[in-house]
Amino acid sequence: MKKDMTLNRKRVFLEKFFHVLFLLAALFAVISVALIIIFIFGKGLAPFFPNNQFGTYNFIDFITGLQWTPQSGQYGIGYMIISSILATLGAIVIGVPIALLTSVFIAEVAPKPLANIVRPAVELLAAIPSVLYGVFGFAVITPLVKQISPNPSGDSLLAVIVVLTIMILPTIVAVVETSIRAVPQSYKEGSLALGASKMQTIFKVVLPAAKSGILTGVILGVGRAIGETMAVILVAGNPESGIPHTIFDRVRLLTTNIALEQGYAAELHEQMLFSTAVILFIFIMVINLVLSRIQKKAGDR
Amino acid sequence: MSRKLKDKLLNGLIWLSAAFSVGILITIVAFIFSNGWSKISWDFLTNDYESQTQYVNVTSDQSYTAPGSLPRDAVFSENLGIAIEPNENGYEVAWIDDNSPVKDAKNNAEEAFPIKVGYQLEQINGEGANLKIKAGTNAEDLINALDASDELMIKVVSPGGGIFPMIVSTLMLILVALLFSAPVGILAAIYMVEYAKPGKLVNLIRFATEVLSGIPSVVYGLFGMLIFVNTLKLGMSILSGGLTLMILLLPTMMRTTEEALKAVPMSYREASYGLGANKIQTLSKVVLPSAIPGILVGVILSIGRTIGESAALLFTIGTFAKLPINPTSGNLSLFETGTSLTVRAYVEVKESGNVEMAAAIGIVILVIVFTLNMISRLISKKFSKANY
Repeated sequence: MKKDMTLNRKRVFLEKFFHVLFLLAALFAVISVALIIIFIFGKGLAPFFPNNQFGTYNFIDFITGLQWTPQSGQYGIGYMIISSILATLGAIVIGVPIALLTSVFIAEVAPKPLANIVRPAVELLAAIPSVLYGVFGFAVITPLVKQISPNPSGDSLLAVIVVLTIMILPTIVAVVETSIRAVPQSYKEGSLALGASKMQTIFKVVLPAAKSGILTGVILGVGRAIGETMAVILVAGNPESGIPHTIFDRVRLLTTNIALEQGYAAELHEQMLFSTAVILFIFIMVINLVLSRIQKKAGDR
Repeated sequence: MSRKLKDKLLNGLIWLSAAFSVGILITIVAFIFSNGWSKISWDFLTNDYESQTQYVNVTSDQSYTAPGSLPRDAVFSENLGIAIEPNENGYEVAWIDDNSPVKDAKNNAEEAFPIKVGYQLEQINGEGANLKIKAGTNAEDLINALDASDELMIKVVSPGGGIFPMIVSTLMLILVALLFSAPVGILAAIYMVEYAKPGKLVNLIRFATEVLSGIPSVVYGLFGMLIFVNTLKLGMSILSGGLTLMILLLPTMMRTTEEALKAVPMSYREASYGLGANKIQTLSKVVLPSAIPGILVGVILSIGRTIGESAALLFTIGTFAKLPINPTSGNLSLFETGTSLTVRAYVEVKESGNVEMAAAIGIVILVIVFTLNMISRLISKKFSKANY
């Protein structure tokens, strides 16, 4: 009897122990996010408050400034914000339709054996590291852009948009294709029975039914585009100032700004890089929230 | 526009888009292979990156016999147990006996610098030996110099241009990243699926995981540099890179493990409880083993992500193309810096515009990543075929 009781107590202890262990592991995610936010915001917001050990900088100047020259104390990321927005917009405007149509192809139009080739092919695109896209852009895209560009160099907003478009394709296709396939057969059958053609069914019944999945795909695509660094750093040009007036102008993005100078920035300069990260962070959060709100509205139908 | 025409147009656009997507894949892969193929060779995979010239001291204590088969014009040194063959610049090491003293060669700073196959011999100094080796050097003179004394100082040149250091660093990085992220991810997923009750805590954890997966890798790199490299003073090292990746990979590991656990039917668990097992026994003997294929897919995904990651590693692991070896002991160390294949490919283009080298590294990366992709797909297929 006594032996049974100690055995039982041991088991109870073990159960409790593992429960706590699993809980701690799950909380690790929360702790990591908290740490990341604390450190990045801590270091990034410091220059905008008085008594910063490396000097104070005006936040409005930071956000709207069109020049980034650390040597002379200029830290304006306004032009980078605009460039990032333009690049992402361009990639979405071109990439989403292509991704949509490709998903339609895989899910609805293609004969089964062909679909089984195209689907893995698009998945493979997602597996290619972003640096290799950058190398491709550097060696193939920028020379092409240079040929049609009035500017001396091929590094341009256009090159960035092209590379970003290619990169977000697989991300969007993966999500959209799944949600197209999730549309109930009865919707399609009903539409066809009413006399609609295949194309009409796809564009007027299936796609609207897959709206929420499509929006998810767009959200993921936007997130990928605005956060991409290595693929575009080799084709962007990264000038120290200047809003792009044409698609052939060189651009510096929020992300490339951080990656380029991270190695040697010190003191105020380093803090400013963290500030850039803070702005990037806020941007992504805002975009996610806005798009989620739209998605909820669309889903409520 | 008539409906038929409109339909044909849309159909055409659909086929065009699909062709574009596949075409992009083919173009990029073709680009990488065509540009990098010329560099691919066994030496490329096994050589050091930097060609090094060193004066090393070798102490011989016994005689060695030549192996049965030697390359045609190779000559053998009984003193050192190595075979040397001529090349266009002079002579290089072709074969080394397992017990050869050249494996323990040290330079003047007492650092280990073993002579390996492929190294170029340029000069031999010692008692009774004083030979500068050139293209036309007589093989006999060479052997006489090598066999002249028990203590020799040899000037060797190791070949460069290889990616061996990057391969080793990448493997170490994968190990560290997995070692840290897999347990945490799996344990966390177990909590979320098996223990958690819907409520504020679960929502918080899920929200945190979503935020983590939305953070761009360059921000991870910034954070990793701040915390691991600077604050914890780990410096740019495999460890710093691995720890940064641990946080980056956490959402992926958690998500795939959760899916794998959810796919195990409740009936399994109920049967186990019905037989009298407690929760831990059920988890460890019934649920987890059934979820292994899904967890494996998560692991493979994480490996692929690690190999492809660059922005988060640039300043946490470093960019030096060297083996992460402790200089005095000559052992591999997690605290040393090295660089991964992907990061190096970026550096090659950024710093020297060397697209060929980057493409050659790209070929190695693509082969590995595509193979991993295929393996994970095979596992998924087998997994879904399992009768539940």
